[in-house]
Amino acid sequence: MRGMGLILRLAWRNIFRNKRRTALTLAAAVFAVVLLVHMIALTTGVHERMIEDNVRMHAGHLQLTGAGYLEDRTLERFVEWTPQLAAAIDGTRGVAAAAPRVNGFALLSNGPASQGTLLLGVDPDREALVSTWPQRVVSGAFLGGAPTREILLGERLAETLGVELGDEVLVYTVAYTLENAYELFRVRGLIRAPDPRLERSLALISLADAQALFAYEARVSEVAMLARDASRLDETRAELLARLRPLERRAVDVNPWPVVMPELAQLIRIDDIQNYSMLAILVVVVAFGILNTILMSVLERQRELGVMLALGLAPRGIFRLVYVESLLLSGLGLALGLALAVPAALYMQGHPIPITGDIQSLTEMFGAAPVVTWRLSAWNPALATLLMIAIATLAALYPAAKAASARPVDALRSL
Amino acid sequence: MIVKSPRLPQPRRVRFQSWDDRGGKRAFIRVLEPPKDRGSAFLKLHPNLWSYVPRVERTIRIPPSMMLQSWMGSDFTNDDLVRESSTLDDYDHRWLGIDPSHQGVRAFVIEHLPHENAPVVWGRIVVWVDAAKSAPLRQEFYDESGEKLRVMTMSDFRDVGGRWYPHRWSMVPLDKPGHETAIEVNEIRFDEKFADEIFTQRNLTRKE
Repeated sequence: MRGMGLILRLAWRNIFRNKRRTALTLAAAVFAVVLLVHMIALTTGVHERMIEDNVRMHAGHLQLTGAGYLEDRTLERFVEWTPQLAAAIDGTRGVAAAAPRVNGFALLSNGPASQGTLLLGVDPDREALVSTWPQRVVSGAFLGGAPTREILLGERLAETLGVELGDEVLVYTVAYTLENAYELFRVRGLIRAPDPRLERSLALISLADAQALFAYEARVSEVAMLARDASRLDETRAELLARLRPLERRAVDVNPWPVVMPELAQLIRIDDIQNYSMLAILVVVVAFGILNTILMSVLERQRELGVMLALGLAPRGIFRLVYVESLLLSGLGLALGLALAVPAALYMQGHPIPITGDIQSLTEMFGAAPVVTWRLSAWNPALATLLMIAIATLAALYPAAKAASARPVDALRSL
Repeated sequence: MIVKSPRLPQPRRVRFQSWDDRGGKRAFIRVLEPPKDRGSAFLKLHPNLWSYVPRVERTIRIPPSMMLQSWMGSDFTNDDLVRESSTLDDYDHRWLGIDPSHQGVRAFVIEHLPHENAPVVWGRIVVWVDAAKSAPLRQEFYDESGEKLRVMTMSDFRDVGGRWYPHRWSMVPLDKPGHETAIEVNEIRFDEKFADEIFTQRNLTRKE
């Protein structure tokens, strides 16, 4: 199209005729892009962090349990942890690692001090691949594999009980066989959990010890699995279910983390709604800024546009000219904005900001480590680009239509 | 005590002896059978419950928050066995009417509503009382949202020194299908004078 080159040249010149206005509009667009990219990167980063930390502390990306476990977390809902089951899970392509656990409830006691506690029986080798518990040991050591009658306590729990490394605590509970079960355990290590409530009521023993204590034989409460790709849980779940089907003697559930931790999924959803509402408002403000600039430039140039019409440029040409000006302006803003935002976001991604002070307890409440993390995913700049194009397209619509609809006589007379 | 559960191939039986001093808000229980649990003992001294576990020779304080946990794996709670709350002090009572034939017996139906600060978790308890003999026949336990959670029925009534006393107490939790625990009383004596030594930590750890 021959006319297009001319229009492009005209548009390019036009946007530099009023330098101050263009500069201001450009600044608004650049600011919008930088804000868009960083807000999305922050939201994504903080959420991914929250999911990752929670998933690694609780049930994994995918959780295999006896049917109905989520509604009724008792010893009655179990999975038989057989070598065949382990092989089937380990052979599932989407599963990076899996750890069987016994989740029980016990009263821990030392002298007159006692505390109701979540007692987890874990396979130490497998747990190291799935959860961050081994890294959370702040003194002493993580568990060994054999039944050793050693126990890890949350730091605050140890404080409540008044025990230190090497001391004995009495673990008192009801076994699967409905008998009273109790055993002395030696404190092997202390763990720090991001969530202080959890730290006050959490104890870990080896899977073998837990199965003996609860008279649970080869049963486990859950198998926590980490996915290779957290964004493809449905596929992995389907693959896993297909592999488990020939082994099943009892009904099982395989649930992705949003089902296991609905509070977390909801929290993230609410936060997303908030953040994206803010972004929407920002987008509207920027759109009006650009609309304003283009409209002003059109109104200012009524006479000039009238001459162009009188000289025979079709209204369609005028429409195109104004449109291209808007696109150029937004495109420039976008390019500058991305050039500023992306490297900064990438830098921040590598350098998360630790949070200290009062807000720290807030992130701990959500089970996330107290750091602010950026995460620049590929769709983030793509979304910013799409939004800016949408803004430019919509903002130019009215001024372009107005310019194109002017009659040459009126336009020439108006100024 | 006979505990039935889908988990168990056959019911679990526990034999125990208990001393209950309502006036002094204290109670003591010693487990006699099965052999594995022989010597386990429980001491209630308001507001604490102590449990002695013989194999490791330790005494545990069971905190008030655990009073509603299962006692010895049964469908009775710690609180059921060593009552922290008092029917007279902790509840208001409301007359609901007369059931002309509750299992063939004319019964008063009474509702117990707990006081605001009472150490009670039930929203309300509805009881059937034998109108002629003033003996409890049935108790239904509701939670705070009004859902019926468990039902206790009394049977095997015998005359014990002028009291018409049920010798079988059966507890059925409605949220756990297949579970039922019955306590069968072999022998009961009322108005005994208790020696203070019974309700001591020393008695807890005593080997009979």
